[in-house]
Amino acid sequence: MNAFEWANASSVEDAVKLLKPAGGKVDPDEAPRPIGGGQDLLTSVKAYIVHPPRIVNLKTIQGLDHITADGQGGLKLGALATLTQVEEHADIKGKFPGLAEAASSVATPQIRNLGTVGGNLCQRPRCWYFRLENYNCRKKGGSECFAKEAENKYNAIFGGGKSNYVHPSDLAPMLVALDATVTIIGPDGKRDLPLKEFFVLPSQDVRRETVLKDGEIVTEIQVPASPLNAKSTYLKFKERDSLDFAISAVAAALELAADKTVRQARIVLGGVATIPWRVPAAEEFLVGKKLDDQVLAQAAKTALDGAKPMSQNAYKIPLTQTLVRRALAKLNA
Amino acid sequence: MAADKTIKQSATKSTTSSAWSRRNFLKGVGVAAVASDAVLDRVKHVTAADAPPDANARNQVLAGPIKITLNVNGQERPVTVEPRTTLLSALRDRLEPPVTGPKLVCDAATCGACTVLLDGKPVFGCSVLAIDAVGKKVTTVEGLGTPDHMNPVQAAFCEKDGMMCGFCTSGFVTTISALLQSNPNPTEQQVREACKGNFCRCGTYPHVFEAALSAAKAAK
Amino acid sequence: MAKKKIKVPKVVNGVPQGEVEIEVDDTAGPTWGPNDKHRLLNKPMKRVDGPAKTTGAAIYTQDVRPPGMLQGKFLLSPHAHAKITKLDLEPAQKLSGVKAVVAIVNVGGEVRYEGQPVAAIAAETVEAANDAARAIAVEYEELPHAVTAEDALKPNAPAVAQGRGQGRQQKQGNAEQTQAALASCDAVVEAEYRTPILHHSCLETHSIVADFRGGDEATVYASTQGTFTIPKDAARELGLDQSKVTSVVQHMGGGFGSKFGIGIAGQWACRLAKQLGTPVKMALTRRDEFLAAGNGPGSIQKFKAGANKDGTLVAVHAVQHTMSGIGNSNVAGQPYQYKAQHAYREAAPVNTNEDGSVALRAPGHPQASFAMESLMDELAYKLGLDPVEFRKKNLKDPAWHRQLDAGAKAIGWENRNKTPGGGAGPLKRGMGCGVGAWGGGGNAQCVVDVTVAQDGSVTAAVGSQDLGTGTRTYIRAIVAEELGLEIDDIVEKIGNSKLGNANASGGSTTTASLAPAVKDAAYNARTEMAKRVAPLLGAQPEAVVFDGRKVLGNGKSLDWKQACAALPAGGLSARGQWKPGLSASGVHGASFAEVEVDVETGHVRVTKMCHVQDCGLPLNRKALESQINGGMIQSMGMALYEGRVMDPELGVMLNPGFGDYKLPGCLEIPQLIPIIDDGDERQAVIGMAEGANVPGVGAVANAVYNACGVRVRQLPITPDKILNGLLQLQQQRG
Repeated sequence: MNAFEWANASSVEDAVKLLKPAGGKVDPDEAPRPIGGGQDLLTSVKAYIVHPPRIVNLKTIQGLDHITADGQGGLKLGALATLTQVEEHADIKGKFPGLAEAASSVATPQIRNLGTVGGNLCQRPRCWYFRLENYNCRKKGGSECFAKEAENKYNAIFGGGKSNYVHPSDLAPMLVALDATVTIIGPDGKRDLPLKEFFVLPSQDVRRETVLKDGEIVTEIQVPASPLNAKSTYLKFKERDSLDFAISAVAAALELAADKTVRQARIVLGGVATIPWRVPAAEEFLVGKKLDDQVLAQAAKTALDGAKPMSQNAYKIPLTQTLVRRALAKLNA
Repeated sequence: MAADKTIKQSATKSTTSSAWSRRNFLKGVGVAAVASDAVLDRVKHVTAADAPPDANARNQVLAGPIKITLNVNGQERPVTVEPRTTLLSALRDRLEPPVTGPKLVCDAATCGACTVLLDGKPVFGCSVLAIDAVGKKVTTVEGLGTPDHMNPVQAAFCEKDGMMCGFCTSGFVTTISALLQSNPNPTEQQVREACKGNFCRCGTYPHVFEAALSAAKAAK
Repeated sequence: MAKKKIKVPKVVNGVPQGEVEIEVDDTAGPTWGPNDKHRLLNKPMKRVDGPAKTTGAAIYTQDVRPPGMLQGKFLLSPHAHAKITKLDLEPAQKLSGVKAVVAIVNVGGEVRYEGQPVAAIAAETVEAANDAARAIAVEYEELPHAVTAEDALKPNAPAVAQGRGQGRQQKQGNAEQTQAALASCDAVVEAEYRTPILHHSCLETHSIVADFRGGDEATVYASTQGTFTIPKDAARELGLDQSKVTSVVQHMGGGFGSKFGIGIAGQWACRLAKQLGTPVKMALTRRDEFLAAGNGPGSIQKFKAGANKDGTLVAVHAVQHTMSGIGNSNVAGQPYQYKAQHAYREAAPVNTNEDGSVALRAPGHPQASFAMESLMDELAYKLGLDPVEFRKKNLKDPAWHRQLDAGAKAIGWENRNKTPGGGAGPLKRGMGCGVGAWGGGGNAQCVVDVTVAQDGSVTAAVGSQDLGTGTRTYIRAIVAEELGLEIDDIVEKIGNSKLGNANASGGSTTTASLAPAVKDAAYNARTEMAKRVAPLLGAQPEAVVFDGRKVLGNGKSLDWKQACAALPAGGLSARGQWKPGLSASGVHGASFAEVEVDVETGHVRVTKMCHVQDCGLPLNRKALESQINGGMIQSMGMALYEGRVMDPELGVMLNPGFGDYKLPGCLEIPQLIPIIDDGDERQAVIGMAEGANVPGVGAVANAVYNACGVRVRQLPITPDKILNGLLQLQQQRG
């Protein structure tokens, strides 16, 4: 780990000031970073893939770790609420089952005890070449994506091209499926935006995975009241169950009529794309239908339409189709 | 072709012939300098030379060696760390005398051998900064029991042969001791879930599970 | 005294290398007696170092911190093959807290694998040492490399191993006859099986603390499999007399074949300590450990084999490539444990620009076993034979017949999938099996001293090391049983080169070498004690009995402590050495696995595993079960999860960490059924540990086939291979 400065922020405003790069614009991997749980940040700093000259502690700011039901069926998650808080929260377990499943699927209990909602959304992506210091891949400011022509069995089948890492977050696909919004505070003040617009493709900015600019921090996630919340689920597939990132994951949510006709559907794929990958065509296909085997199969097929596998990861297509089918069938049961 | 386009810093450089151009993969490595500019008028830069830097202070920018006090197994333990010093390294490499029950195995939050309790909850000691543990209660395997006064989990590990080389044992004992605090009557599946961040190479797992269930029974 | 000549196994750095003839005293001496007549041995015993290990009180090498100790660190080569054109240490030397920066490879020198140490550093803190490694300015001129067999075997491939040609062949058997015999076989299988390079993954990385502060003495704390493999080399590096260097190994966090001698970590800990006159710790990081601490070889094994409908294995033609980096490991020869009427094997090592392979649990056997057991299965299915019956037909030793029957019963073999891939629903269940063998014999290197003090305390001392196998526990148990005492009455002293000599722990030879010497020492102590106490009892020494913490004879009895009070002030000492009759060689094992394959995701879950293992006289049944479980888990890891991944073009390892090199964890562990084969009535100690992780690899692979009909011939069996295999099957069926 390279040396860095440490500062405990007392307020969001002070954190924003403390996060301002010393010399104006800097390389994204060399800007000051905020720390919540630090589970991905410290791993990345130790691996010398990011080099923040300063780390600003957000945990000393009051009121960022709340989990609040808004009384009307919506939910507010402070960015510093831990994953353990989310998975154990009675309201979330009861009324947002997919969110509780997604939180409890993250890594290990030790990591979930420290890891936060904000950190889970902002963690850096997975790719062997990105995660090893020596490869100056395009994601790190170099001129090529090494995975494309080489070892890519864990890499993206959607949203790649310039770079082919996968977005590793478990919360993100589920929160996108539940139409969550995110509050960001930075040097230019506060802004709210739909979470699905929070993530950016490598074609938009290959060096960053989110719209966050230097000095901006996520303060809260809001999940609106919706019939989708109660009928939500998260299925995660790992090569090794004990501790692994998703090879593929599906966040799904449904609103069903009394006769089980689909009123609305959300399907967001994790672990297979450079961002949480929503599949509107499959969602639209489901509306107005009852979920029999044929419909499930067709929805799964549609969800994976347009996938662009590389030399070693075509298997992710049938795998993800299975997960889509099983997630929908589970919600329909 | 020179590899300059891929080198960002100066410490390591590689050159290749054009035939091997795709091998210009090496990202330059080096020691990053710590920025020292004040960014806020009221931000104060503090090092060990100043007296006494307070790791709890707000809006102070702390750098270099800092004196902190950690609460380890109920004792206040003063220690000098850098901001980048992990809790695990502070315990093992910097405290005098050291606390070596938690082991350094992967230093990357992937093995569980360094598990300690932070305010009673299991965390990876390698993935918490020492400075971030100030004001919290740190409990290591040494704080759970001693050879003469083992806690029920430690005693059950001995009874069931829940160890071979023993290098993962501190982590498992600590994780399971915390589990039994929050869930005194776990199923084997719950034990496995709680310990899924703890890895063993010798292959003691089945006896670890037996020990956890037996400790839960014994504690009743 | 009369002498006799016997043969004992020879093991070098964990690799068995045939037998050597030695001369031993031809005496009657102690015997173990019937296996079922022991008071402490052959029973489950609690590990005596359990309380220390479960409370953090056990001190490992990495926990040692003598006053003034500096932290060592290596700078590793980032390239598979390169020449160093510039090396500037000064920027590192100037950093605060950095005490020494020394070049290991100089300008003009070549590095031959990613991870080869280029410079060594000693600094006051871990942080400063890391900074120093990064501040060293190195320039490399990259040279062509090969890190795959395909690249290494190309006609114009770069030379990797100096003085050794690629693919130099060893041949055994008659190729023409074997080929010809294939023509008449009822079934022929041609197949190629591949296993990747594996990593020992010792949780404690290679670590040495050289405690030298000037003067003429040093203590070297080492995480090693051989206490006595340290002092000579450490003394040379420190410039001291060997007699002035003490090595200490109190507890060690795993070796699995990778920790013999001081290695490069020890070499530089000693050199830096000597240069600076202060203790230096050199503990590899996890990445260092993956790249530069040795590995287990990978393999490519090509077969043409045939068998007849009656189950006779007629012909096995095998070409075996061992992938051992810049090292020279071998894979066990084919047809492994099976008897074929015609067999031909050629072995051709392939060197690549990777760190050299070293011994890894049962060196070369799991690789050979996986390939042969897969091949046997393929033949059995092709002939429509029960895989167990087919194996028995071609295995001579009755031990395997007994073990296959016991394992089949424990796993419920009759419930296996009758048609591979058959059964309703996406979750397919299947079973597979395999057999293995190991040596595990003892040799005559251990010297054990048992002392009985006037106050009744008993100490057994020998320099040997406990890798977690339970050495400390059986030392106590053997002495306690002999002297009629309990485990807690004995104190063992081990892990120090100033104590009696002992062999290094390689080839599962420790127990068979040490236990007899402990037994001999205890027997001699008992004989001596009997002589001393007999007059007090008015008994003949031969008639004195030691039992229940009492010394009995002539109808009288003395408490142990009363009896010891009669000893002279210095107490009593007895020395023991290895005796041939107390150990034997050759163990057998059979593994069975039951798996569940989700054919819609490719997920494989091992649901149950069973391993039957013989070992002569079991010393501690609880530790033995732990060892058998460990063998099953390691073989499952090799089958399903583990393997080094290289980028062929860049020449570097992509998964040098525990997040990406995947060991089995808590959620992967099946129901495990360890069975100690008490049908083995040899009244002798035999090492078994390495035998237990051989046959499970093939058993799991075969179970996967039985479950889902996909034969994965390249390990590890990951979901992508299952799904791709199922797709192929679908296409074949149209």
